[in-house]
Amino acid sequence: MSDFLLELSKNPRARALVGALGLPIPLPQPLKRERGPWAARPLADARIGIGAAAGAELVPALAEALTAAGADAFIQLPDSLAAAFRAPGETFGRPARKLESLGEGTKLNALVFDASGVRDVKGLRAVYEFFQPLVSKLARSSRVVVLGRVPEGTDAEAVAAQAALDGFVRSVAKEIGRLGATANLVIVARGAERRLGPVVRFVLSTRSAFVSGQPITVTARAKAIDEPALVRPLEKKIALVTGAARGIGEATARALALEGAHVVCLDRPADDGPTSQLARAIGGTALSVDMGDDDAAAKISAALKPLGGIDVIVNNAGITRDKTLSRMKPDQWDSVLGINLAAVIHTTAALEPLLRDNGRVVCLSSIAGLAGNVGQAAYAASKAGIVGFVRATAERLADRGITANAIAPGFIETRMTAAIPIAIREAGRRLSALGQGGLPEDVAQAIVFLSSPGAQGITGRTLRVCGGAFIGA
Amino acid sequence: MATDKKNGRRAVVVSGVRTPFVKSFTDFTKLDTIALGVAAVTGLLKKSGLRHSDIEAMIWGGVILPTTSPNLAREIALDVRLDPSCEGFTVTRACASGLQAVTAAVSAIERGDNDVIIAGGSDSTSNASITLPSKVVHAIAPLALGGKASAADYLGVLSQLMPISEILPRQPKIAERSTGEVMGESAERMAKRNEISRQAQDEFAVRSHHRAAAAIAAGRFDDEIVPVQTPSGKWVHADGLVRADTSVERLAKLRPVFAKDGTLTAGNSSALTDGAAAVLLMSEEKAKSLGLKPLATISSWSYVGVDPADQLLMGPALAIPKALDRAGLKLADVDLVDMHEAFAAQVLSVLKMMASTPFARARLGRDTAVGEIDPAKLNVHGGSLALGHPFGATGARMVTTMANELARTGKRSAVLGLCAAGGLGAAAVLEAVS
Repeated sequence: MSDFLLELSKNPRARALVGALGLPIPLPQPLKRERGPWAARPLADARIGIGAAAGAELVPALAEALTAAGADAFIQLPDSLAAAFRAPGETFGRPARKLESLGEGTKLNALVFDASGVRDVKGLRAVYEFFQPLVSKLARSSRVVVLGRVPEGTDAEAVAAQAALDGFVRSVAKEIGRLGATANLVIVARGAERRLGPVVRFVLSTRSAFVSGQPITVTARAKAIDEPALVRPLEKKIALVTGAARGIGEATARALALEGAHVVCLDRPADDGPTSQLARAIGGTALSVDMGDDDAAAKISAALKPLGGIDVIVNNAGITRDKTLSRMKPDQWDSVLGINLAAVIHTTAALEPLLRDNGRVVCLSSIAGLAGNVGQAAYAASKAGIVGFVRATAERLADRGITANAIAPGFIETRMTAAIPIAIREAGRRLSALGQGGLPEDVAQAIVFLSSPGAQGITGRTLRVCGGAFIGA
Repeated sequence: MATDKKNGRRAVVVSGVRTPFVKSFTDFTKLDTIALGVAAVTGLLKKSGLRHSDIEAMIWGGVILPTTSPNLAREIALDVRLDPSCEGFTVTRACASGLQAVTAAVSAIERGDNDVIIAGGSDSTSNASITLPSKVVHAIAPLALGGKASAADYLGVLSQLMPISEILPRQPKIAERSTGEVMGESAERMAKRNEISRQAQDEFAVRSHHRAAAAIAAGRFDDEIVPVQTPSGKWVHADGLVRADTSVERLAKLRPVFAKDGTLTAGNSSALTDGAAAVLLMSEEKAKSLGLKPLATISSWSYVGVDPADQLLMGPALAIPKALDRAGLKLADVDLVDMHEAFAAQVLSVLKMMASTPFARARLGRDTAVGEIDPAKLNVHGGSLALGHPFGATGARMVTTMANELARTGKRSAVLGLCAAGGLGAAAVLEAVS
């Protein structure tokens, strides 16, 4: 279902007219997205402004990752930290330049600030001092990334200072959303510094176009992977995607296949047609199972056993049966909880013996699960249940290098959301920092990222892909 | 290492020649790439004193291959009237085609497939065919190749050919197919990223010209160049592009050609050139039995690929260290370095990379930089900037000149490096025969 305001916004004459007449029409900025498989240098020629507060600990990891990704670094750092850019600059033919040398009218494609050393309120001043003059230099579809540490311990001021970064980033996200730009906080636990690179690569690239205002925590909990592949990361991997016939499931199956995975596309027997077509198109396999059946998990396990093992499980299949609680019938409650939560738990358990080390479990939650919604008591319960499920699963499988995470999509333009009454649909689209709905490929890219070896530092978390939606946190 | 030596056989370079290299669309305009190859091979045979029947095979390199007769090696052999049993094949590896032909010949000889091979390369930009757009070919072909055509068929074709602007032949640009970027633009970006100044590029270009001019004046190339007679009867004896009188001041006047605020000019970029070069290779025993003194061996080579979208012309920075490793040599040990000068900025960028320790660590997996090259041993008789660059011939020219240099001076080793379109790099190590 097309977004009329977004279509209008893509027309330069319409934009000019709205601007000239000063009409109070909120035209959302069309987002820059790259299609096709992951590139070797996703940040090629991007101008990235880089700063750090005193005590910053993540600059070397940042320098390595950004330069290898093709970025042109414009740094505002003391000499001791700037030195970290010299070697990668020589290696990749991208010497870092001083931020002050940036031309007057030149826009920046990203701003990255290492706030890992901030331990008191005075230290937070550095965050203001870096961003305040530079926010106006951000280009359309640009990125803001702040790096911090896990706010824990007994030093109350240090914990408070790190926690403050979260509110700062969420606000910046809301302010720059009109540019189609995003802001996110990447929190790096001690010992997880080496896992930062691929995360920063993803967050700064166009692949994270609909992720904004989010904290992403990187830990060393899951067993490490040496030198994770950054191009064709899923080569020789087998992935299962449930609910693959259309929407987010289909987009995910296609995106995983582009990165080299053999994808088993699963959906109901009634959707056998589209599922088989998809599987043929991407060189995968089709599997017809109704996730509502009691023996669904056993059927899936039996079908996948001959493959010898699987690497990625994407639990995407889900239904809505919206009804306010007082009007909700028992079978509506049962079917929603059954498919959205019980089936996920049982299928994942049944497939666990087949799941290889360094494997991935990705489940679809929803911002309805995080914030609740009128008429969605059952749906929200099931989606909140997913959040707890991945937290526990992550802990149990971490020693095998297997990560488990959830994705909570906000308003995504799919067949499901097209059926929503127009007033509520408009509200869903507009009440976010980016002022528009996301696309199934936005969610798919986040799933591909979490499924990749480079996401080894993220486990047990729920990542919102919501364009900085106003509801929930 | 690409050779499979049977019974310790070694291939040796016995002789090499080239035609003069002239700017495209000047003296050699009416000589196509096959004719230029014929001139070189004929000259090589005369110089070496071999009989036509001694040549068992020819391997030839070229970039612009005639569509109806792309196997230049065979066509040249037939035109020269070598024995029909002299088989031949043609290789294309962009600007490294000439070197590829030579190393393929070394492989064949050391494997025992052949004893005597002529390997070389040629290109004639003056005779590059201008292709009709596919739209035109597809519209006209059924008419031209099918049966009887009616008036309605002709009218049908006309309607397919609209609009006119789309069917006019286009001037081919040297642009990467995968990125659409003109090669000079890629080099310009490399100059910026590796911080190579206009001044440094012009100085390098001037040095190339002065050294080439000195070589010509001293008669250094007399032995290597075979004069060529054009169809109009004119004899061409010398390279047409070398400027003995050039200077940094003169080059500074030239305008940038690939970017408005760029540093690359016609003066520090290689020019479109016509020419050919041919090398005579034999097994060491065969040379001995014929009483011919070998000039050098090709001890090792390396061909690499890099991402054309990143730094298109950086290949030699990876290929040279690999070839040196395979020959068991360090850069500091080598007496001569010969690098194809596609653009001054490209050579200087590669030199910078080879001198960088972080580059060596990350891209070559070694602890220390490959090394710095003493300008006194780099391109001692000038290079492509001064002599010109007939694409397929350059690699063979470099082998000829360096093999002769080792033999004349008694020096022990030389390493060659070439970048090539498509994001390829090539390198080879030549060593004197003791």
